[in-house]
Amino acid sequence: MLMLSYLLATGITTGALYALVALGIVVVYKATGVVNLAHGELFMMGGFLAYTLHVMVKLPYVLSLLLAVAGSFALGILTDRVAFRPLMKEGLASVLLATIGISFLLKGIARVVWGGKGDFLAFPPLVSPEPIRIGNVMIMSQQLVVLLATLAVMLAFGVFFKTTRAGKFMQATASNPRAATLVGIHVSRVYMYTFGVGAAVAGASAVLMAPLTLLYPDIGFVLFIKGFAAAVLGGLTSVPGAIVGGLLVGIFEQLAAGFIGTTIQDVSAFIVIMFALIFLPTGILGTRGIRKI
Amino acid sequence: MKSSRFVLNLTVATLIGGLVAVGHAEDGVTKDEIKIGAFGPLAGPVYMYGKLAMNGLEALFDKVNQEGGIYGRRLKLVREDDACKPEGGIAAVKKLIYDDKVFAINGGGCSNATLAAKPEIVKAGIPFVVNSAVADGISSPPSPNIFTTQLTATIESRAQLKYALEQKAKKIAIVAQHDAWGRSRYEPMMTALKEQLIKPVNDEEMTIDQNDGTVQALKLMQTGADAVLLIVYPKPAAVLIRDSLKLGYKPLWVGQTAIQDLPQLQEQVGIPGALEKFVSITTIPAHPDDPEMAEWRERIKKLFPNDALSVFNLMGIGSGMVVVEALKRAGPDLTREKFLKAMGTIKNFKTGMYPGPITCKPPVSNQCNQSVGWIRFGDGKPKSIGVTTLD
Repeated sequence: MLMLSYLLATGITTGALYALVALGIVVVYKATGVVNLAHGELFMMGGFLAYTLHVMVKLPYVLSLLLAVAGSFALGILTDRVAFRPLMKEGLASVLLATIGISFLLKGIARVVWGGKGDFLAFPPLVSPEPIRIGNVMIMSQQLVVLLATLAVMLAFGVFFKTTRAGKFMQATASNPRAATLVGIHVSRVYMYTFGVGAAVAGASAVLMAPLTLLYPDIGFVLFIKGFAAAVLGGLTSVPGAIVGGLLVGIFEQLAAGFIGTTIQDVSAFIVIMFALIFLPTGILGTRGIRKI
Repeated sequence: MKSSRFVLNLTVATLIGGLVAVGHAEDGVTKDEIKIGAFGPLAGPVYMYGKLAMNGLEALFDKVNQEGGIYGRRLKLVREDDACKPEGGIAAVKKLIYDDKVFAINGGGCSNATLAAKPEIVKAGIPFVVNSAVADGISSPPSPNIFTTQLTATIESRAQLKYALEQKAKKIAIVAQHDAWGRSRYEPMMTALKEQLIKPVNDEEMTIDQNDGTVQALKLMQTGADAVLLIVYPKPAAVLIRDSLKLGYKPLWVGQTAIQDLPQLQEQVGIPGALEKFVSITTIPAHPDDPEMAEWRERIKKLFPNDALSVFNLMGIGSGMVVVEALKRAGPDLTREKFLKAMGTIKNFKTGMYPGPITCKPPVSNQCNQSVGWIRFGDGKPKSIGVTTLD
């Protein structure tokens, strides 16, 4: 019973990591229809930016977090202006390829700038490094921070998409860019801000998660895969779906490792992606595109 | 007339003599220089095993040259980047042998790149002394022209088990990465366990990118493993130790050379006192801050002003010392054959860098370093706690 409690608790806390990554993927996909394959690298850049500001320059934690988020936002906008916007007219496949190119470019830059300072850089946690007891299980305080931040970001985006003009512009643009243009929405600007917001979410996630995941130039891809599995399972168009998907991937990973064997732990995300594509192509909370005639 | 014939004869004799001399001259050796090649990653995540080891070697060569060289010949280091990739290793070695025409190679930063380059090195017959790569296949079965001063994966795995048994561990567990690096250590470890008729109480897997080790820690706790042999990189090690401490589980952790930066590991785990029961193997027991390393700190600073002395520099220096010793023993009429013969005479050679003396035993074994040093974290820095020498 204790084992099961720990597996579920750990599944939820690691699932929250994946959910945060999935949130960024979903936000961009929801507005642009593009899966940003560079999302993991934007996450990694946000983490290194915060590391530079907080650990190397010694700025306070909160200021470093805010500057890292702002820097990630700017990086997201820059990638849109340099790579994505010029290719939007060429179709989604071209943009998708551009996101792969950006991911390699960012990884290369990180290796040059931050590589060689140790294999895996430690990032100080926001809260005490000592574990805390919840019920009959012990968890790391920073894991709770990530879990709470995930829920907060989900709520913020839920409100944003439901109640703000900008959120509705984003959804309208994703649904039908031509119609959105006809009603006066500046589509390319919406795309630009969406990539910026997606990158900002990645940056914030990185700062919160870095004490648990450590920082290194290759961290982005692995977390992207787990986050993508979560987004696909939850439904690529659903913000709450990203959270549900993330938690399910995390729990599945832990249960599989606990009851089948630790060998299966790393491949479980791929099993989830395959399962979702075959049996739940729109995900648990995703919606199938409806075209009215 | 007589004198002009004498001049002609002298000229012909000189030309023939010169041609004969050229025919016998070794690549990379002139009357005032010996070219030694090195290959390894010069950038990227594992640049330490290439660039930093080469920086150390360069510092050693600088010292030797200041002291008059080897029989008047200055040592010149020629560097090639292999990007830690098999294709890079082959290209780097071909360039060193056929374009740069070095006399010998002292390098090999990554196992996969060095293994890929091995056939070319064997074919060329060029002396090669490995300074960083650990794969057994590089130096075993022995090739007459390949020696290693680095610990190999098998030596480390056997030493890990020996240490746990010396500490009277009753229930031994393994946590390993099952990638190419991990398997090169995991398989010799399983063989060593089998030889000792020991069945590990756990055989768990972790990946290099794992962010949580709670499951592994729970399983280790369930079986009551009192010693855990870690065949993982620093990140999974840090995650596993962190999550074990979370559960209040504190076995003896036995690491290997991939986890020898203990101050960094302590930072990665992030919990004070996390490494109380952690020991690891080190190739270089000396700490760069030790007083006896003052000379090398200054030399590295002089040649590479942006660098501070690191264990990877010392790794290059230690291996280079063996090469320099063999060059001295080979005598003034340097040939590759004489150099290889001299390598075979290296017995109980103390570098002051490695945990034990260097002894090469060709043709039986060219794995010249059989001693592993053990370190523990205390007072904010690693402390040397002993040496295990394998038979």
